[in-house]
Amino acid sequence: MTVRRTEDKKYLNVTIVTHSEGKDMPVDFKYQKRHEREKPMALDVLLQAQETKIPDLAFRYGCRARNCGVCTIDINGLPRIACRSVVRENDELRAMSTLPVITDLVVRRDQISRQLRGKIYRSSGGNDLNVDASDDYHELTSCIECYACLHNCPLHEKNRVDSEERYEYGNPFSLLKLQTIVMDPVSSNSQKNDAITQAVNLGLDTCLDCPGCKCGIGIDLKGKVVDPLIKEAKKRENN
Amino acid sequence: MRINLVWEQYDVLVVGSGGSGSNAAETASEMGASVLLVTKDPLSASDTKISEGIATVRASGSADDSEDALSENLQLAGGDLPDVNITSAFAKDSQRAYDKVRANGLRPKISGITKNPDPLPLPMGGHTKRRSVGHKNSGVAFGHANWNSIVKDTKIDYKEDCWLIDIITENKKENTKSIVGALIYDAQKGKLLAVMCASIIVASGGLSTLYFPKTDTMRGNTGDSYAIAARAGAELVDMEQIQFLPFCLTSPPAFEGLLGGEPVTASYLGVLRDKNKKVILDGVYLRTRAECSAAIMKAVEDGRGTKNGGAYLDMTANKKAPKSGKYFMSFLKGSLPSAYNNVRQAMSKKESQCEDLWEVRPSAHYMMGGIRVDENCCSIGGPKGLKQHGISGLFAAGQAMGGLFGANRLGSTSLTEGAVFGQRAGKNAAIHSRNISGMNSLNKRLFIEKAERVNSLIGQKGHLHASRIKLTVQKECWENLGPIRDEERLNKTKLFISKTKKKLKNISISNSVKWNQGLIEYFELENMLDTAELMATAALERDGSLGGHVRADRPNISLFSKPYSTIVKFFGAGVNVTRLPRKQTEFKKLIKFKLEEQKKFLGARILRLMPMSLKDSVLERRYKKIMNIQKSSIAVSPGSNEAAVGDQKIL
Ligand SMILES: Cc1cc2nc3c(=O)[nH]c(=O)nc-3n(C[C@H](O)[C@H](O)[C@H](O)COP(=O)(O)OP(=O)(O)OC[C@H]3O[C@@H](n4cnc5c(N)ncnc54)[C@H](O)[C@@H]3O)c2cc1C
Ligand code: SF4
Ligand code: SF4
Ligand code: FES
Repeated sequence: MTVRRTEDKKYLNVTIVTHSEGKDMPVDFKYQKRHEREKPMALDVLLQAQETKIPDLAFRYGCRARNCGVCTIDINGLPRIACRSVVRENDELRAMSTLPVITDLVVRRDQISRQLRGKIYRSSGGNDLNVDASDDYHELTSCIECYACLHNCPLHEKNRVDSEERYEYGNPFSLLKLQTIVMDPVSSNSQKNDAITQAVNLGLDTCLDCPGCKCGIGIDLKGKVVDPLIKEAKKRENN
Repeated sequence: MRINLVWEQYDVLVVGSGGSGSNAAETASEMGASVLLVTKDPLSASDTKISEGIATVRASGSADDSEDALSENLQLAGGDLPDVNITSAFAKDSQRAYDKVRANGLRPKISGITKNPDPLPLPMGGHTKRRSVGHKNSGVAFGHANWNSIVKDTKIDYKEDCWLIDIITENKKENTKSIVGALIYDAQKGKLLAVMCASIIVASGGLSTLYFPKTDTMRGNTGDSYAIAARAGAELVDMEQIQFLPFCLTSPPAFEGLLGGEPVTASYLGVLRDKNKKVILDGVYLRTRAECSAAIMKAVEDGRGTKNGGAYLDMTANKKAPKSGKYFMSFLKGSLPSAYNNVRQAMSKKESQCEDLWEVRPSAHYMMGGIRVDENCCSIGGPKGLKQHGISGLFAAGQAMGGLFGANRLGSTSLTEGAVFGQRAGKNAAIHSRNISGMNSLNKRLFIEKAERVNSLIGQKGHLHASRIKLTVQKECWENLGPIRDEERLNKTKLFISKTKKKLKNISISNSVKWNQGLIEYFELENMLDTAELMATAALERDGSLGGHVRADRPNISLFSKPYSTIVKFFGAGVNVTRLPRKQTEFKKLIKFKLEEQKKFLGARILRLMPMSLKDSVLERRYKKIMNIQKSSIAVSPGSNEAAVGDQKIL
């Protein structure tokens, strides 16, 4: 005989892993549903936990609408955008595993952007701005910078993420930013060449043996970022 | 535990990395200033990034779109409250400022005919001309350009996860005040930064988090810009003018407050109804956001509100029309794709197909007032608005500044505002710093005193929590400082604020030095309370309904009465408020405007009351006309709720 699990109509049990001074502390939290059929998002759960049980719970959020890209957390070990991810019974919510945790669910993010500091767009170089960009360019600029793609990226894993030093190795987001320059009709040839060199310097060759990255909002990272960069890099190597 | 103080010295400090902050930092740096940019959210995560991404570019639609035409348009829409010098500066710079954002990677669709950025097919948001340029990926496209502008070279230092706590000024002779720096909590590193600088650009956005519900603006909009500038002694202008968007969702909880539609998307036959299904507003598509919000809230006031404290938006007649119904649906979906997306996720199928009524309620969105500045973004003060009566070295840009919109904001103008005035602030701050010599050591004491106050909070014992008190502030502001106000309520708000301020000493704050959420919530709560106090005082002074400010106990302020702005500032333990006369648009123009408006309302009513067969054909023709033009426009997606479409009168 199978036991049918009946969903509790009033509550949802989750674990929130808080973090302080280098130590994890899981807290069991009973989310009180605001109506019977409510399917709360992870962000709703965190907000209620802050309101009721853990008043100083630290987590990032902004828009509540999957646009700002700052609320990413791990749900059961996988990166999810908290404001638009439904939580189920017994789920575990914790900070992203791919970046250093500061407090509770807040990770340090800025070392990703710092990796590209001084290495992207310098100016339009006087080029005509009145040219249309391709659909691929626009697909890349739909990235909301949520960093979900850092998960399982062998290239990013080569970094010592807790270190204060500049991250030596790249990640799908950084490669996306570089490929954006390559795709931009306004970029000069030398800017494009530069971007490809940067990608190589960030360890693009690691991508050769990788099945490919996964974007949290569905950008085709392998087809539109990694493969084209590799192709261009090879072309330049052969010349 | 103590948070250590770290000293830094820069020419210019920029607070915020939305459109205004990024443009300011880039420009100041190009002018040769050393620049530190701090932001509480990650780089470029801001209202700018989550906006609908539609920007005003003068003359993008027609060659006759002169600077005067645009400036006048802003004046009239803002009830003659805007500062003429500021609206002229906006009109003058819009194209050049926008091109600077394009140089950082913003790529609009280029028109095959004009070879220039292609604006949306019809004028929007009460604009008199076509000049609103949409972008693929909405605000996210601006987010990337802003990010690029900061990261691209190594000249601009930036720090994320840093909260500006207070601006530090020094009193000079003749009662003038000058900037000497700022105290910042670096939550990531667990440090206090004492930044010594001669210029500060406040580009830290708005205050919608004072309210719940609010649209999907950023959580960090806790009024920091206004409270911190006012505490430093700055004057604020038009602080009673907050924009509430009328058609926001009421449930489920995760969607509460998010945008569902705009007046224009109610289309030709849309009406608002109370809980008894009685019509409370017709001709909705011609109304301003403020009018719709007021109608809903008046019904709620009289006990005729719906279950969740709103009203019903009834668009069923549009849908039922046998021939034009299908055009209506694609108009609705196409005009505000992301808002419609919210509706589809949050409502039942019948509702989202407009076969049933939508329950809607107003939600807080945008502060039209702000720090009182001149057209170069310098803080000004006194009856004549002089620089020597402002704070020397204080600059404001973007939503933080006041004087551009007055009583009403036209759609698509804020992103341009960020670019235009961010760049102006950056330039003028760099020049100001160049003219000021180095700091003397005496000033350090001012920083140390402020830092002591922060450290005295660490480990504060108490039974209260700032995060929870914030929720009570949101409720209070909604009820008594919200879309409908009267004297009694505004006084209640003031009482609530003074009581709550007394509770601050009983707030518990942990011992942590790094990312102390309790401490962050405490600072934000303080800013919310200070801002609410300034707003409530301005709202009491404005004794009638005007634009974003609706007084239930006072008459409407007519367009023909003498316009004035409210000016508030902290004075001793209280708030000082004065009126600033503004220049009125010529009567001839005002009368023309009024007559045209009345004609439109009448036309809308006649159409709605016509027999179905007759109006259906009229509507079919009209839809066909606009849809054909719309086909040429780009799809704006993904992006967030269109919120800046404003009172678009595109139908
Ligand atoms: C959903 C939505 C849609 C919109 N659509 C449009 C549109 O289509 N067109 C249009 O023109 N306008 C639109 N607007 C309005 C427009 O987006 C904003 O008014 C504008 O982007 C504000 O820019 P800003 O630079 O002044 O502030 P923001 O972009 O809000 O940036 C504020 C910055 O300040 C930082 N900050 C705040 N407080 C502190 C502090 N204490 N210390 C340090 N840093 C701090 C924040 O982290 C952030 O970086 C929309 C707004 C919303 C919410
Ligand atoms: S590429 Fe995708 S997963 Fe990575 S940051 Fe951008 S949106 Fe997020
Ligand atoms: S393809 Fe490259 S960037 Fe993508 S996950 Fe693999 S190693 Fe990382
Ligand atoms: S809160 Fe902005 S993406 Fe989740």
